[in-house]
Amino acid sequence: MASKAQPAAPPVRRKTTGRQRNSMHDGFLRHKNFRWMKIATVLSITCLVSYFLVDVQPRHNGGSWYGYTLGTIGALLIVWLTCLGMRKRAITPGGWSLKAWTSAHVYLGLSLIVIGTLHTGFQLGWNVHTLAWSLMMIVIISGIVGIYFYATLPDNLSNNRADSDGAVTERMMIEQLRSLDRQLHDAAQPLDPGQAALVQASLEQDPFDGNFFQRIGNSYGGCETRKAMAELRRLRAYQPRMGDDPLDKVDGLLQRKESTLARLRKHLQIKAMLQVWLYVHVPMTFALLAALSAHIFSVFFYW
Amino acid sequence: MMFIVRQVALKADGSEIVRQTEVAGEELFIGRNASNGVHLPDLAVNPVHARVERRGGELFITSQSQQPFDIDGRSVESTKIDIARGAELRFGGHIIAVGAEGDAVTLTVRRIEAVSDSAEDKDEAAIYSLKGLLPGKRMSAWGFALLVLIACLAWPVYTWSSYKDLAYKEKVSRPAGFHADGLWSSGKMSQAHKTLKDDCQACHVDAFVSVRDNACMTCHEKDAGPHAPMTRQLTARGDPTGFAAFTRFVATSFNKPAGRCVECHTEHEGAGAMQPTQQRFCAECHDGMDTRLTNTKLDNAADFGNAHPQFQPAVLVRPLVGDDSKAPRKRISLDKRPRENNGLKFPHDLHLAKTGGVAQMGRRLSAKYDFGDALECSDCHEADKNNVGFVAVDMEKSCAMCHSLAFDKIGGTYRTLRHGEPEQVKADLRAFYRSTPPARPINLGSLARQRPGVVNSRRTAADYARAVNFRGGRADQAIRQVFSRGGACYDCHVVVPPSSSGALDFRIAPVAQTSRYLQKGWFTHDAHDKEECTSCHLAETSKDATDLLLPGIKNCRTCHVGETGESLIKVKKPVESTCAMCHDYHADKGAPWLLREQDKKKKRPEITAAMAHPGGAGARLRR
Repeated sequence: MASKAQPAAPPVRRKTTGRQRNSMHDGFLRHKNFRWMKIATVLSITCLVSYFLVDVQPRHNGGSWYGYTLGTIGALLIVWLTCLGMRKRAITPGGWSLKAWTSAHVYLGLSLIVIGTLHTGFQLGWNVHTLAWSLMMIVIISGIVGIYFYATLPDNLSNNRADSDGAVTERMMIEQLRSLDRQLHDAAQPLDPGQAALVQASLEQDPFDGNFFQRIGNSYGGCETRKAMAELRRLRAYQPRMGDDPLDKVDGLLQRKESTLARLRKHLQIKAMLQVWLYVHVPMTFALLAALSAHIFSVFFYW
Repeated sequence: MMFIVRQVALKADGSEIVRQTEVAGEELFIGRNASNGVHLPDLAVNPVHARVERRGGELFITSQSQQPFDIDGRSVESTKIDIARGAELRFGGHIIAVGAEGDAVTLTVRRIEAVSDSAEDKDEAAIYSLKGLLPGKRMSAWGFALLVLIACLAWPVYTWSSYKDLAYKEKVSRPAGFHADGLWSSGKMSQAHKTLKDDCQACHVDAFVSVRDNACMTCHEKDAGPHAPMTRQLTARGDPTGFAAFTRFVATSFNKPAGRCVECHTEHEGAGAMQPTQQRFCAECHDGMDTRLTNTKLDNAADFGNAHPQFQPAVLVRPLVGDDSKAPRKRISLDKRPRENNGLKFPHDLHLAKTGGVAQMGRRLSAKYDFGDALECSDCHEADKNNVGFVAVDMEKSCAMCHSLAFDKIGGTYRTLRHGEPEQVKADLRAFYRSTPPARPINLGSLARQRPGVVNSRRTAADYARAVNFRGGRADQAIRQVFSRGGACYDCHVVVPPSSSGALDFRIAPVAQTSRYLQKGWFTHDAHDKEECTSCHLAETSKDATDLLLPGIKNCRTCHVGETGESLIKVKKPVESTCAMCHDYHADKGAPWLLREQDKKKKRPEITAAMAHPGGAGARLRR
C-alpha cells in the first residue's frame, strides 16, 4: 500500500537564490499535506457508515461476512504496520521514503481503532479475541503517546540544552561534571573529615544513577550533591566569617554542579519519555501478533 | 634512617610518572594535609590519618583518629609490619606499597580510584538511554508473545485433544469448570445452551471442521423435526445470485457447507433466548417456490399481508361411516367454499336467533341455565383448558338442556332414552311396551261411565284385550318413530336406515367434531378474546350444519398486516405479523416459538404439542 505513496517526492526546497537556501521541513505527520490522514479518514468513515448500513443478524459480530472482511483488513494492516520495524532498519536508496511509510504507519494505525473495534461488533469478553483487541488498543494508545511526545518534547529538549554559549551536547554535560568534580576534589582538600566526607559522597554518586521512576519523574530524593550543599551551608552558618574560607569555594562548586546535574536530569527525563513508549509499543506489538495468530487459529480450529 | 616516598601518577597516555621524596627520621605521618610525609589528596583520608614509626626491622602504623585503614585487605586501626616482608596499605582511594631498599623503607603511593564517579569511563550510548532501567524490548517482546501463544493456543489445543473421545455422546460431557478452550469462546451461549458453556466439544467436535448437524442431533433428535428433506430445501432456496453467490462460494471454500442448523441457530451471540425465525429466512424459499421446486404441493408465501395463500382447513370429505378410525380429511382452500358433513343437523341461525321458539324456550329456562334473552355461542361451546380451542359439544351437557330424551315418568322421575346407544334405546322402548299395559279404559270392569248394554262392556273388554295382546308390537312402531322424521334421534342425527324394509336395525351415522382445522399453522382463541365470536364466525346466518364457519384470510387481514403488508390493506390497529407468529421451521402441534417465548416472559404455561388440543387425535372425533 505504502509503495503507491512513494512517487518521487516533489521538491521541498524552494527556489534557491544566491547563497541563501530555504528549506521547509515537512514532518511525518504533515507529510504530503496530510495524504495518509485523508486516506485513513476515508477508510474509517467508510467502515463506520457500512457498519450501520449492513444488516447483520442477529447482531454485528466478527463472524459475519462483514465481520470477516473487517477482520481481514485489520489483520493485514497489523502485519503491515509491524513491518515498519524492519523498514526503518533497511536503508534503501531512491524514492522509497521512510517518512511516507511512517506517516502511513501513524494514520493507518489510528484507523485500526475503528476497523478493529467494529470487527468486534462491540462484543467483548474474557477471551483470546478480546485479548487481541485489547493488545491492539494498548499498542495504538502507546503509539499515540509516542507521537504526542515526539510532537512536544524535542522543543523542551533543545531549550534545556541551550546555553549562553550555544547548545550543550551530551558529551559536554559529562565533561562539565567531570571538571566540576575535579575542582571540588581539589577545593575540598583543606576540609575536616566530616565536611570532606560530604563532598566525597557527592563525588562518588553516579550522576546517571536512579531507577526508571526517578528518571522519568525527575525526582532524585537521595541526591548527595544537594545534601552536601545543604549540610555545608548549615555548618558554615554558625562559623565566623573569615576571608578565604575553603568552604566558600566548595559551596560555589557544589552549586554549579547541582545546576549542571539539574540540566542533565531534565535531559534524561525528556529522553526517557521519548523512549519509554517504545518499551510498551514494541513488546505489545509482538504480544498482539501472537494473540492475533491464536485468535485466527482458534476461529478455524473451532470453525 | 630514612623513608623513601614515591608518588606514582598516570599520564594521559597510560605511562607512569614517579615523584620521589625522601623523609628522614624514625617517624612519618600519612594524611590529606600537605604537611604530612605521605600526602594523599583524597577526601576519604583524614588530614592526619596515621602515624608510621620504625622500630628496628618493624614498622608500627597507628591511626591518629578513630578512622581505620586497610592492611592487606583487612581494616585495622593499628598494625605492625615486618619491613623485610613488606605489605600493602590502603587509605581511601590510595594504596601504599611498603618495601625496603637498602636501609630505607620505601612507600610507593598509587591512586587506584578515580577522583569521582563521573570521572570513570561511561558508555554514552547506554547511559543516556533507558537501557538497564527497563526490561529490554526484545526480551519482553519474545516473553509476552510466547506467553500468549502458550496460554491461548497450545493450552486450549491440549484441552481439546484430551477430551476428543467424548464426541457425539449425549449423556457424557466434560467436567464442569474452566477449560482452556473456553478462552476461545467468542461470547455467551444462549439461554437454551447455557449448560454447554464449559463443554465446547459438544458442538465443536473435529478440529478445523465447522459445526455439523450430527452434533446438534446428538441431543435434538426428538425436538428438532426436519422441515423438509434437505435436498428439497436447497432446491427450493435455489442457487444464490450476486453477492450471496460470492459469500456462498467463500463459505464453501472454507469448508462451511450450506443448510446446516447453525446457519439459523447462531450461537455465542450473548445470553438470552433464541430469536424467532425471521420472515426473510422463510421467504427465501417460499417466495415463488413453485418456480424452483416444481412438484411442490404448497402455494407460494412471502408475507401474510400481501403474499399468503387462502387458508386450507383439513375438512372431512365424506361423512364418517361405521368404525372409521381415521377421519377422511383433505385440505381444501376456503375460496372453494368447502362444506363438511359431520353427521349432525344443526342450524346455527335458528339457535342464535333473538326471536322465535328457541329464544323463547331459552328465556323460559333462563332461571335454570342462565341463558339470557337469547342463546349465545358460549351456552353450548366450552373453551378448552388453555383457551386455545374448544372441547367437543357434549349432548348430555349442552343439547339436553332443551332437547329432552324423556319418554316416561314414574312418580316425579323422568326416564330418558340412552344417548349414544341406539340398541339400548330400542331395548328400553321394547321393555317399556312389554312391562306397561296400555291405558286402561275407565269404563272397563266398572259401572262408572258405562254405556248401557252388555255389548258395550264386552266391546270395551275385547278392545282392551286386543290392546294388551298387541301391546308388545307397539314397541316396533315407537322405535320406527324415534328414528324417523319427527323422532328424537332424527331431529339432530343422520340416521342410517334399516337394511331392509320392515327391519328395525336403524343406526346413527358417526359424528365428527373437528377440534382443529388449520393444522399447519397456529391459532389460539386466547389471543383473540377481545373479539366477539360472530365477528369472525358467521354463525348467525348459517342455516346448515355443513356450513364451515371458518373465517378466511381476508378476515384476519383486517388486523394482521404481515411484516410489510400494510400497504395492501389499511387497517386501524395493525398487528404486525411475521411468519413466525403462526408457523415454525421445526413445527409441532403446539404454539410456535415466538408465542411460547412470550408466554414464558408472562410466566404463563407454554402451549406444547401435548397441551394444545388435549387428548390428541382421538378426542377430535366424537361419535
